[in-house]
Amino acid sequence: MASRSGFRFLLGSLALQNLGRRKPRTFLLLAAVAICSGAIFTGAVLMRSIETSMSVGFTRLGADMLIVPAGALTNITAALLTAEPTDLTLDDSIVGRLQHLKGVQKVAPQLIFRTDASGYSRGGDLIDLIAFDPDSDITVQPWLEQHLDRPIREGDVIVGGRREETLGSEMLIFGRPLTVYGKLAKTAVGSHERGLFITFATLAALRDPMRQICGMKAPLEPNKLSGVLLELAPGATTQQVRFAALANFPGIKVVSAESMLTSIRQGLGALLDGVLGLMIIMFVSTALMVSVMFSAIITERRRELGLLKAIGARRTQIIGMLLAEAGLATAIGGVLGCLLGIVLMRIYEHSLVYYLDRMGVPFVWLDGRVISIIAVVCVAFAALIGAAGALYPAWRASRSDPYDLIRAEI
Amino acid sequence: MLACADVAKTYATERGPVEAVKGVDLTIDRGNFAAIIGRSGSGKSSLLAMVGGLSRPSRGSVSIDNTDIWRLSDNQLAQFRNRHMGFVFQFASLLPTLRIIDNVALPALLGRARVPADAYEAATQLLNQFGIGGYADAFPAEISAGEQRRAVIARALINNPVILLADEPTSDLDEETEREIMDHFHAINRSRGMTLVMVTHNLSLAEQADQVVHIAEGRLAA
Repeated sequence: MASRSGFRFLLGSLALQNLGRRKPRTFLLLAAVAICSGAIFTGAVLMRSIETSMSVGFTRLGADMLIVPAGALTNITAALLTAEPTDLTLDDSIVGRLQHLKGVQKVAPQLIFRTDASGYSRGGDLIDLIAFDPDSDITVQPWLEQHLDRPIREGDVIVGGRREETLGSEMLIFGRPLTVYGKLAKTAVGSHERGLFITFATLAALRDPMRQICGMKAPLEPNKLSGVLLELAPGATTQQVRFAALANFPGIKVVSAESMLTSIRQGLGALLDGVLGLMIIMFVSTALMVSVMFSAIITERRRELGLLKAIGARRTQIIGMLLAEAGLATAIGGVLGCLLGIVLMRIYEHSLVYYLDRMGVPFVWLDGRVISIIAVVCVAFAALIGAAGALYPAWRASRSDPYDLIRAEI
Repeated sequence: MLACADVAKTYATERGPVEAVKGVDLTIDRGNFAAIIGRSGSGKSSLLAMVGGLSRPSRGSVSIDNTDIWRLSDNQLAQFRNRHMGFVFQFASLLPTLRIIDNVALPALLGRARVPADAYEAATQLLNQFGIGGYADAFPAEISAGEQRRAVIARALINNPVILLADEPTSDLDEETEREIMDHFHAINRSRGMTLVMVTHNLSLAEQADQVVHIAEGRLAA
């Protein structure tokens, strides 16, 4: 019949049946824990995803410093892969002089021209034409994911990771055919995702039709640059090179990776700390709520507990049974919360992430294994707060005399 | 043998301490059927609780077969209750979420003195002995009050205790069921040689006992 039923099975069965005995209360408990766990699970996954996205975006940056004209706005998320499109320019003579600056190892000039008049984009979208020097480049070619089986040459274009053109296809830019030479990997940096990268020689060939269509704009003047990316020599510090550059080249602005990354990481760290603090507060408040609820549950069941003690249940058995019941309830709540979180993230993915993606700000989700680990940790924590919340009322009930419990006087 | 020496119990209440039992000396020989009688609030249930290791006395000692039970540790006392005592309370004391067979086997499973298969076999035998074997898989709410009481007695006997303590075990039963339960008690007392201590305010039930202990205002009455 039930010969295989042991005491643990009975306790587990008691815990389950007790949860089923007061369905509305159990539902409220599960809902509260599910909301808490769901919020924490979703928050943790999103924050880790944001952190990973930022990390991917910044750890791949090839340049240590960027020199731009003073007054140029710099988008820090993209700054060290490319300069920003601007009418402010630097004279290209700065390249040779920067190469002689102490601590500078590589100098990679870039010129960016943003236009909606290239005649290429089907919907008249803005296009960033980014001219670079393949010989000194440090931020474009390292991202080449696929390319034709030959060196890049005049008339070639490299497309950003989110563009749809295929290798070897032809793009008509300002009326001139360009061959898609390569495609970049996804960089998580907007300008790189949708930019069209050409050599300075190709830009020179396009300059006349560009002037005809767009007029004489500063970036189209000869010998002009939008910015210069620097790679520092081993041992050189950004501070050292920054001061030297500012002292030698008036009218420039220096953006260094280190300070940007530091401030972003610090900002992100503070944000994550804040989220962590909120998570701790949520956990503590849930544990308190579980504690209050289990105080009520235990008060209601004091006669049953007294009876168990009377027939020989030890204190540890009473505590174990109540903790198992609380842990089981909150673990179920945790599982429901994680499922809820997954639904929320799917909605999030279809709305905000999609929107960000379209804006050229890719969102890198954590892989399934990490999400699973976070879910398991959330469920474990949910079970833990249930057990922690029930610990004091369970301990209090366990130390009462059985007769006091039976007489309902705890 | 059961021996109480100067046993007293004081409860702390909002209106101050209330002395329920005021120093009782009592001896009940092994195998005896003793009835503790008295009016409501006389302290008879409190005395039984102290005798049964359920409520710590404010002073005095309780010995069962030369074991001073209130000198035992918490776990030792739990084990002593489990192995040597059986309880029948005045309320329906079956766990409502467990089947009758589980309720009866529970003390054996709690004490871990037997493997679960043996515990369930013993529970089945007891249920058959009390004529409720057919309700083994039923839940308490599915059987009558008298059948529940018989299941409670079966549970009290599962570990073959030396003493059975019953607190007004028939207070909520009809006369016929009351008689059946009392018949069971007599049978247990005679066939097993088990000491039986029963609290009751029913004098006709008390007259069936070998020894009657009268409590009034927390003291033994003459």
